[in-house]
Amino acid sequence: MKQQHKLSSGEQQEQTVQARTAKTTAKEFGSVEELLRHDAAQTVVPPEIARRLEESARQAPPKRPWWRRLLG
Amino acid sequence: MKAPCVGTRCVEAAEPRILSPDFSELYDQHSRAIFYLALRFLGDPQKAEDATHDVFLKALRKLDQFRGEASARTWLYRIAINHCRNLLKTWHDRHVFPESDSAVWETAAAGESPLRILETKELGDRIQRTLDGLPAEYRLLLLLISDEELSYEQVGALTEQTPDAVRGKLHRARKAFAALWAKSE
Repeated sequence: MKQQHKLSSGEQQEQTVQARTAKTTAKEFGSVEELLRHDAAQTVVPPEIARRLEESARQAPPKRPWWRRLLG
Repeated sequence: MKAPCVGTRCVEAAEPRILSPDFSELYDQHSRAIFYLALRFLGDPQKAEDATHDVFLKALRKLDQFRGEASARTWLYRIAINHCRNLLKTWHDRHVFPESDSAVWETAAAGESPLRILETKELGDRIQRTLDGLPAEYRLLLLLISDEELSYEQVGALTEQTPDAVRGKLHRARKAFAALWAKSE
């Protein structure tokens, strides 16, 4: 009997965890735009891009416009 | 030449450098929007990373040509759209892609139902699968209009059509997305 009680307590705990998980992960979006905005907000820009950009700019600095070269 | 404006500040056009605070600010403000567009439009994180790098490098090189008539965001979007379209065209020329099943979403009436997801960790994959099933034009319109900084007029200018045409196509694009979304569950 004690064993049975212990089992049901464990089951109860598991159910609570499942319910909590479902509650925290379930989401509903009213429109495609809302869904995409949420997705965009979750998106992290890889820091590698900024590093590569700096490197590329350093290797080949942007040309000065012709009128600036002319004016010195 | 008018100095380009970033947000409320104007950028000195001479000798732009990636390390300059102004260009860094431009990058900080818009890199997420540009990376997200590239990611979901191209459907490949590595290619999106490369594309974002290339877009900002082009922007850096063309900074003196930016006249501030458009917002910095739309200027960057224009560079990004051209770049991504060229990439897609190159891939399509090299590969034969199966036509997406347009009948599935043309006849669907799922457009009005809310989009529900249970596992947020799978959200990105599911969104990508759904977007991949849409024609590139619908995909692009949905991604642009979901940016709250852009108006219908700006989206129309970026995609070379009238705001009314954008509204009409968006209506169909939303229905198509919702139908494919429901199917992807």
